[in-house]
Amino acid sequence: MTEILNRETVAIDEAAHDIYKQLTEGNNMLEAPFKTMKDMFMWATCLGVKLGLRRPLTTKRITIFRWAQFDPQIDIPLLKAIAIKDSGDMSILLRRNDILTVAEEYANAGIYELRASLLEEYGQPLWNLVSLISELKEA
Amino acid sequence: MLREKLNQLFTLYDPAIQTLISEVLTLEQAYISMERPHIKEPIDQIVSRLASKELERIDEQKD
Amino acid sequence: MKLERITLENFRQYFGRERLDFAKDKQRRVTVIHGVNGAGKTSLFLAINWCLYGEGANNVGELISKEAIKLARPGERVDMSVELDFSHDGERYLVKRSRRGIRMMDGSVQIDSSDEFMMMRILWDGQAQLIKNPIGTINAILPSNVRSYYLFDGEKIDDFAKPEAAKEVKDAIYLIFKLETLDRARRHLETAASDYRKELKNSTSGELINLLDDDERARGELRKKEDRKAEAAVEIDAARRKINDIDQHLRGIQNIKFLQQQRDRVGQDLKQRRSELEDVQYQIRDISTTSYFTILQPAIDDALQRLEEKRERGEIPSNIRRQFVQDLIAQMRCICGRPFTDGSPEHQHLLRLIDNTLPGSLEDDVLEITATLRTFSERVGRQRNDLTAQMKRRAELVDQIRDLDAETDDIGRQLKDSPLEEVSSLELQRQNFLADIDRYNIETGELTRDIEGLKEKIAHLEKRISQARKNERREKLLSIKFDLTQRAADAIKDTYQTYANDMRLRIEAKTKEIFKLLIWKESHFRDVHISQDFDLEVIDRYGRPARPELSAGERQVLSLSFITAMSRISEEEAPLVMDTPFGRLSSQPRNNITKYVPDMADQLVLLVTDEELRDQARANLESRIGYEYQLEFDPMTSCTSIVEVVRK
Repeated sequence: MTEILNRETVAIDEAAHDIYKQLTEGNNMLEAPFKTMKDMFMWATCLGVKLGLRRPLTTKRITIFRWAQFDPQIDIPLLKAIAIKDSGDMSILLRRNDILTVAEEYANAGIYELRASLLEEYGQPLWNLVSLISELKEA
Repeated sequence: MLREKLNQLFTLYDPAIQTLISEVLTLEQAYISMERPHIKEPIDQIVSRLASKELERIDEQKD
Repeated sequence: MKLERITLENFRQYFGRERLDFAKDKQRRVTVIHGVNGAGKTSLFLAINWCLYGEGANNVGELISKEAIKLARPGERVDMSVELDFSHDGERYLVKRSRRGIRMMDGSVQIDSSDEFMMMRILWDGQAQLIKNPIGTINAILPSNVRSYYLFDGEKIDDFAKPEAAKEVKDAIYLIFKLETLDRARRHLETAASDYRKELKNSTSGELINLLDDDERARGELRKKEDRKAEAAVEIDAARRKINDIDQHLRGIQNIKFLQQQRDRVGQDLKQRRSELEDVQYQIRDISTTSYFTILQPAIDDALQRLEEKRERGEIPSNIRRQFVQDLIAQMRCICGRPFTDGSPEHQHLLRLIDNTLPGSLEDDVLEITATLRTFSERVGRQRNDLTAQMKRRAELVDQIRDLDAETDDIGRQLKDSPLEEVSSLELQRQNFLADIDRYNIETGELTRDIEGLKEKIAHLEKRISQARKNERREKLLSIKFDLTQRAADAIKDTYQTYANDMRLRIEAKTKEIFKLLIWKESHFRDVHISQDFDLEVIDRYGRPARPELSAGERQVLSLSFITAMSRISEEEAPLVMDTPFGRLSSQPRNNITKYVPDMADQLVLLVTDEELRDQARANLESRIGYEYQLEFDPMTSCTSIVEVVRK
């Protein structure tokens, strides 16, 4: 039986790369609050799940960080929970690649929502993020 | 030998020209029995090689 | 080329394998092959042509020996080949051309669609090395386009001396002296030069210079801005120091020093609060950017629920492991320890458990994730509380800072409005310096932004410059290529005419020399001339063209003189193979030729009828003959065998 190797890297659409860069690069934490691509990716994923939006990746994709950067206490259980909810099948827990694909697709939709909430609203991105958290608490 | 005689025709010219003519003549001779030999590629290869050497020589002179 | 041996197998009337060696000594360089008409002289001549070039075999019927075909059984293969050993420029070569066929029921033969051609180099130790480009190699040794001047058909002996033969003469000179090679070289080089010129027209020169200019300007601007930024920093420092001095001064003035002290205190406080505000903002940043999981509590709950459902349905027994169940089944023992029977309800229950459980590792995963997810709601609560607390603290700090700023402004106003002129003027100065600092800070912010932009621009330009440099190099190369090919083509053009003319004159002189040697009416002719139009002429003693009066024999000698002259001048080592060259000559020219011709070629092979070589002619050749053969034709089989004539 052919072994499918676990993916070590996480990918995004090339088209979304600029958004990731804009909100992580530079010294100004009010304008570019995210410290890591991983955090931003997790936000995009969760937004996608929350809003029920999802989008498969195109062929033009790039790697932005590695599986090892996920927090095993928070991120990995969260991704697994998302995967279980999505597929309804427990065995997905054994397939890292499928878990990743589910997350990447939610992130690929969520990232545009993130951009809209942080960059297209009046005010600095960090405060827009705090507002967003508060908004979504109620939902 | 005829080859030598042909090469001797061009001794007054630049060494690079001489080499080019000599190599192209050898090439043409090998294909002489063909009506329309596909000779453009091989000639370009010879010219490119000799031109690179010329370019290096000129660069070295500048330094 | 110097021939060494030919081996024929089933070639025309040569049934089986027939072989002959060629004479190649300096002294004994003539090979004579006798045969009556039809014995196989022409076939032998043809064999050499066919072997080397695959030529001459049209319209001569089938090459494969009829006897070999006749003797083969239906369905049996018949092989035919001609192999030629020769040496050239110190190397030994072997060339073999073969043809195969299958004998059919009706006696005919079905030939393979193509002949096989192979050429090998024989090394000094006897090993054979296959040559990859046989045709090219043969053409370098004895090109196919000049073969008819060396492999000489006696029927054509007077071709060059015919009145209409100017074209033949010109072609011969053109080909033998590689004028065609020169001509092709010139044409191809001109085409190449023209192609390169076209490519050069699409050049992008000038781009590099513009880019370098842009780069220089950008760097200049960058330097200016960096300098200005440094200046601004210096100015800010200076202003700050001035402000310190003023503060110091104010502290010393009796009536108002309490105000200054208050300002000092407020200033400290502000500094502290601002620092704390920055820390709080960092905290808010850290918390909010990692609060993504807080918005998914519903999804987490949903997943937990599904996992619970699975558990309740007995699909994930919480403590029971698969292995454990399997062991129980193997022991036929229930969980509680009692034995059960095969097929009993307990047994069935255990089997169901096995079917519904998940593979061992998944079960572990599920247990682990369930445990972790359960902790989330507490984490979410904590995270939210932390964020709320920090945001509250921030709001407090912002208010405090605002209040403190207001207090500072107020103090400033009081000082400015002081009745003491010294105080109000100092305060005014102080406020001006503060305004300056603000201005410089704004300017510094803009400069920083511009500097970053310029750095990016320069990086981008560097990439383009590197590419432009590559292009420029490519163009330089192209320009040199054009120059070389054009000049080479011109060189050939300029030299060609001189060379062609030079050859013409030399052949003319040599032909004259040989003709005089061979002709018996020497005194009658004064000159041999090859005109600019390549007419081969003999001039009589009256200075007139004598060709119309030449006898057949004289014309033949003229032709032969021309050919041997070419062979000498070209200095190519090549054999002269002549098929019945004397057939139409009378004895006088024949005698002359046999006396002198052996020295006019490096190797001479004569295929002659018995009549051709007799008496004086024979005597003339005697001391130069290395091998002699007789072609013996058997009318019964129509086959020829090659028999060496033993010489005393």
